[in-house]
Amino acid sequence: MKKLLTLTLALVVQVSLVGGAAAQAINDNQLSDPRVRQAIAYAIDMETIAETLFEGAAINAVGLLSNSEFYPEGMDAYDYDPDRARELLAEAGWDQGRVLDVVYYYPDQQTADFMAVIQAYLADVGMQMNYRLLEGDVGAQIALPPEDPVNGPANIDWDILYGARAALALQEYFNRFGYGLMPSIPNIEEMNELVEMVNSTADPQVHRDGFQQMEGIINENAYILPLYYQQLYIFESDRVDRNGHPYGNEQYNYNWGIVDWEVEPNDDGERVIYTNAAPQQFFEVPWQNLGIWVHNRYAFDTILEADPNLTPIGGELAETYGMSDDGLTFTFTLRDGLTWHDGEPITAEDVAWSIEAAAQLPVTNPVVAATLRRIEGADALLAGDAEHMSGIAVDGNTVTLTFSEIDPNVLLAFSQFAPLPASYFEGTDPLQLQQNEFWQFPIGSGPFMIEEARMNDFTTLVPFPDYHGGVANIDRVIALPSADGDPNLVRNAAAFRADVGYTKNVPDVAALEALDHMSVIPVNIPYTRMFWINQFPMTN
Amino acid sequence: MPTYIIRRLLTLVPMAIVISFLVYLGLELTPGDAVSHMIPPDGIGSMDPERLQMLRESLGLGQPFLVRYWIWLTGVVQGEFGYSLSGGVPIAQIFLTRLPATLELSIAALVISSIAGSILGTISALTRGSKTDQALTTVGMLGVSIPEFFIGLVAILIFSLNLQWLPVGGRLMPGDDSFWDRIPNLVMPALVLSIMMTAGVMRYARSSMLDALSKDFVRTARSKGMPEWRVNLLHGFRVALTPVIVLIGFRLPVLIGGTVVIEQVFQWPGIGNEFIASVRAQDYPLVMMIALFSVIAVLLASLIVDILTAVIDPRVRLGD
Repeated sequence: MKKLLTLTLALVVQVSLVGGAAAQAINDNQLSDPRVRQAIAYAIDMETIAETLFEGAAINAVGLLSNSEFYPEGMDAYDYDPDRARELLAEAGWDQGRVLDVVYYYPDQQTADFMAVIQAYLADVGMQMNYRLLEGDVGAQIALPPEDPVNGPANIDWDILYGARAALALQEYFNRFGYGLMPSIPNIEEMNELVEMVNSTADPQVHRDGFQQMEGIINENAYILPLYYQQLYIFESDRVDRNGHPYGNEQYNYNWGIVDWEVEPNDDGERVIYTNAAPQQFFEVPWQNLGIWVHNRYAFDTILEADPNLTPIGGELAETYGMSDDGLTFTFTLRDGLTWHDGEPITAEDVAWSIEAAAQLPVTNPVVAATLRRIEGADALLAGDAEHMSGIAVDGNTVTLTFSEIDPNVLLAFSQFAPLPASYFEGTDPLQLQQNEFWQFPIGSGPFMIEEARMNDFTTLVPFPDYHGGVANIDRVIALPSADGDPNLVRNAAAFRADVGYTKNVPDVAALEALDHMSVIPVNIPYTRMFWINQFPMTN
Repeated sequence: MPTYIIRRLLTLVPMAIVISFLVYLGLELTPGDAVSHMIPPDGIGSMDPERLQMLRESLGLGQPFLVRYWIWLTGVVQGEFGYSLSGGVPIAQIFLTRLPATLELSIAALVISSIAGSILGTISALTRGSKTDQALTTVGMLGVSIPEFFIGLVAILIFSLNLQWLPVGGRLMPGDDSFWDRIPNLVMPALVLSIMMTAGVMRYARSSMLDALSKDFVRTARSKGMPEWRVNLLHGFRVALTPVIVLIGFRLPVLIGGTVVIEQVFQWPGIGNEFIASVRAQDYPLVMMIALFSVIAVLLASLIVDILTAVIDPRVRLGD
């Protein structure tokens, strides 16, 4: 009897420790065994890494989402426990001769250092790994799902990928669990259903339930190993006063109240701010990377307005807006008297054209694109069977959109969507919208208009006198060219050529904070660094 | 000489074609294409692969390699340089905006290094074995040995950030309309770029001068009672200049592609910076044109150097 009780207890402990997962490999790849993946999670002391290597600029992750309100009860934080890792590996019969191929795509030194640290932690529990930087077509190397999403084999050739998920809408964290989309994890039917559930409603309670269930499944089985949440750091010089307007996710569009900002005049009495993210060769279409370039938020207005957390809070170009009770019709009316920076009126026809063009543009932000492609008639337009979307109706200043199915992100998408002046794009193939010469000197609708664009030298913007929200108190914005990560940021800031902007580069943060005239404000954003583990059988 | 020049010019054509093909092949063998580089890896998982494939097709990336190369080559022959894939900007326009920046920087560095290197090398040769010679040789070694990016960063730290004498980088700021407005921006990158070249020219000029001074005609000139400065300048320096000119002549085209590091360090918007960006973006029409331009520049420079050598040194006969 005692023996039976002991056996039962052992079984209960084991089941509880592996979280009820099917604690064995599901194919000939040992990484398909949840115990091995859990062992990897236990083997890494992320807390120490966050404090040391990342100098406190990383938050230890538990789930994919950083907000614990989306976690179910009993989420395992996989706190550092090398003994437990060794036990799990022993139970799983881990082949100690196997050398894991760990890949990453960030070319910075800190990532290479991080890989070296991970290598040491895994070695400590008896796992060998090599690491390498992916180059060339990274997308093809990390995102190709197998032809058979259940049995594989994998279409990728790595064991573990270190990467990130940055999201506008939280569904983006989970959408790859839809059937046939996941390159590294054999299909999970339960997840397919949950993905479909959260994408078919705008009900926040359903979203919460769905996220909780998905977080629970991922955590229990260690399908993906969330490592840390990265913050975004807004820098600001002491010449700038935002007049109390809050800081938010600078990678997207939100109401930052720039019209109310005050700037200390320079020696010539001019109120100038310097920033970065000016173009190097052309201005990017503002539908791709929604907020990162200087023209995105200074020169273009969106239909709706979002708060710093990207929650839609009202109209921007739209005076009024509303969603039907069934969630299938979205109507908005543009403000009266709106004009583009060239003085031409902003019309509902411009907006309708922009919606159709953005739906066809291959690089439109996926959340925005998904919303636009759910408008009735979008499929026919994309297939080339129709010239327009049947679900767009224009009446004066009012645009009515009819959706073929419920989209969870209509308001969010339109809080990020900036229409373009259609007249400049007559005859342009929507696939090649970016190749139009408009993008050498774009005409926008926002609080600032482009004054001079010297590609790869600078871009200057001046207040738009007819802006519906009032005229800004800043005489000129001088933007220096840079990509998303600006390698010259610290130098320019030290030389008083960077007054506002953001960075995600941790070493830059310390350097900026060391400058007397600069301050750095950390902002929580949906950005999670994680390990994807290839659980398919390998082709060789 | 005209026959020689025409023959050399004609040989440029097959060489340029072969080299351009090799560059094109290199791009083809690199994983990925311009479209895959438009999407950051963090976002690639959320994109619609079918739409991306349509974009590839619309940009002509779906055609076979040889077809694409042929289209590009025939276009170039007809003077159609094409458009940048990433932004649709005409390549001619990119050249018109970037090349002046690189030429400005390269020529400034070339002038500084040629004058300084020739003078210092000559002084070093004339004071052979002295402390001046030793000091110049040591400085020359250091100039060749220390990487440009390091000197550039130190220079920025001292002259821009600490002393605030010179701008931290860039070529133009709002209101900088004339060349003279740009001089403060040009000083530091041009000087840093010229350091390594000065050291090279100096060492070359020194050994060339020493070689010339040991020739019989120099001894003859001295034995005729000619003043020492005249012997050195008219006989020694003139002859010693020939190989130095060859070196300098070859430097200009190399500089056009070789300013990449300095352009990066000083945020200089030149063709080198553009080349790096276009290679990263796999923007093949732009990469090809910059590569082709560099190849033609080197080949033409080689021809010009040959002609100049013949003009300076009467012993050299072209086409023999």
